[in-house]
Amino acid sequence: MSVTPDRAADGANRRQFFLAGVVALGVSVTGFVASTLRFLVPNVLYEPPGRFTIGNPADFPPGSVTFLEDRRLFVFNTAEGFYGVSSVCTHLGCNVKRGGPGFQCPCHGSQFDDSGRVARGPAPTPLAWYALSLSARGELVVDVDRTVGPDFRLRV
Amino acid sequence: MTETIVRRTAGWLTAIGRSVARIGWPRTDKDRAAVMISSLFLHIHPARVSRHALRPRATLGLGLVSAVLFGVLTVTGLALMLYYVPYPNEAYRSMKDLQFVVTFGVVLRNMHRWSAHAMVAVVFLHLCRVFWTGSYKAPREFNWIVGVSLLLLTLALSFTGYLLPWDQLAYWAITVGSSIAAYTPLVGREVKFLLLGGHVIGPMTLLRFYVFHCVVLPGLVVMLVSLHIWRVRKDGLSGPTVTVAPVEETGGVFPPSTKTYGLMALTRRPSASVAARDPHDEVFAWPHLLYRELLVTLAVVVALHIVSLLFNAPLEEMADPTRTPNPAKAPWYFLGLQELVHYSAFVGGVLVPTAIVAALIALPYLDRNPHGAGVWFASERRLANTIFTAIVAVAIVLTVVGTLFRGANWAWVWPW
Ligand code: FES
Repeated sequence: MSVTPDRAADGANRRQFFLAGVVALGVSVTGFVASTLRFLVPNVLYEPPGRFTIGNPADFPPGSVTFLEDRRLFVFNTAEGFYGVSSVCTHLGCNVKRGGPGFQCPCHGSQFDDSGRVARGPAPTPLAWYALSLSARGELVVDVDRTVGPDFRLRV
Repeated sequence: MTETIVRRTAGWLTAIGRSVARIGWPRTDKDRAAVMISSLFLHIHPARVSRHALRPRATLGLGLVSAVLFGVLTVTGLALMLYYVPYPNEAYRSMKDLQFVVTFGVVLRNMHRWSAHAMVAVVFLHLCRVFWTGSYKAPREFNWIVGVSLLLLTLALSFTGYLLPWDQLAYWAITVGSSIAAYTPLVGREVKFLLLGGHVIGPMTLLRFYVFHCVVLPGLVVMLVSLHIWRVRKDGLSGPTVTVAPVEETGGVFPPSTKTYGLMALTRRPSASVAARDPHDEVFAWPHLLYRELLVTLAVVVALHIVSLLFNAPLEEMADPTRTPNPAKAPWYFLGLQELVHYSAFVGGVLVPTAIVAALIALPYLDRNPHGAGVWFASERRLANTIFTAIVAVAIVLTVVGTLFRGANWAWVWPW
């Protein structure tokens, strides 16, 4: 860049103008990237709702374990009450199966005990327990957005 | 009269041909150089190449084979797009259509699947070849990084392709894969959400993977492959440098004694590799390199046809989110990782892959040993080669264990 002495002041102005242009370009590119990232996050999800009914308590015989496969949920009906345990392995999301004592995962061999605590394998946390409640009509309601501790029981 | 018409027509045809190809069938060395230089597609090659680079064992042709496979994948992939519907269940049905209804549909799908498998293997072997011949050394450090990116893109292409048939393998490979992404520190959950387009695998996920697989990733590959090949062309192939006495530049023109063909002398400053090589060790790219390339391309395409006619690409039952197959295995090139993930999701799924990629990228800047470029298993590079070979061996052992020695509930089984 050669600037002749008599045009030096002019050159400085041009440099400022150029810098302003670069800054403006940077701002607009950043804005574009940010808006594109935001665009990738959907505002409406066409997904099954997190709260749903699973039928009357009477559908679950006392002392039974029912696997609702399309909800990926085990429903226990014990003497102390109802509770629901997710079948989604906390390792990488495969479906655990009941077998022997507790649950087994087919993907990387995690094993869980009867209440979903990790017995062996790579799973980092116990299986999720979901909050159960009764609807006004007396139906069992599961809320998968609300997890509870392993002492949770729903008395009906 | 008739004679004139024939002569004129022939004249026009030649003129049209020349306007396209510029140079007719090259009969002199000057034409052979000019052909390479005046065509966009042939210009990827230098006009002359060293005899060393032509030896099959110098490169094993692996870069070319990967490029040919990518070409086959593009062509077959475009064809498949005409029957494929990126929507759950429809996607699986279109696989069945390809299998039973569309003429040659099954062959095209087979070719696409087997080329993809082959590409993963060949690109990986290409990386190994470049390491073992020390070909990432200056001035090729950056091209090594481009190459590593291309390996990652190849894996990403294979992985995104896996969801598309919407069969059991697809569904559970994505379940596991996206859950691994969720283990990334800080941004894991957001990344998983963006990948799936929601909280669960569904139509949004399929559409996202489809766009990635068919548009975004191939576009990136085309750009990076162009850069990769262009840099190979500019940096020259690595090889034992047969140096001639350094020559002075005279008046901006390279002395004809070093470069015997005049076209290259148009450049002011020839790149180091051109200057340092002995011109008597070089031959014309046309026909020596070009015919070899045609032969390799032919061999790859024929082999792919044979394999695709003999073996059908697997298709399991339709994706069933309620039933995980036992064992649920990833595609073979990820089974080594799955074996690691079996010990710890974070270590196997995030830490080890990140460390490997970081090490690969840093490699040409860490390895300051200038010796042994262009030589297989050079004795000056014993340490580097040993470390690399050990890592490759571990990866292969893990993959074999994951493939053959793991059964239901990922328990150890004997394959016999
Ligand atoms: S997903 Fe259950 S052990 Fe990996």
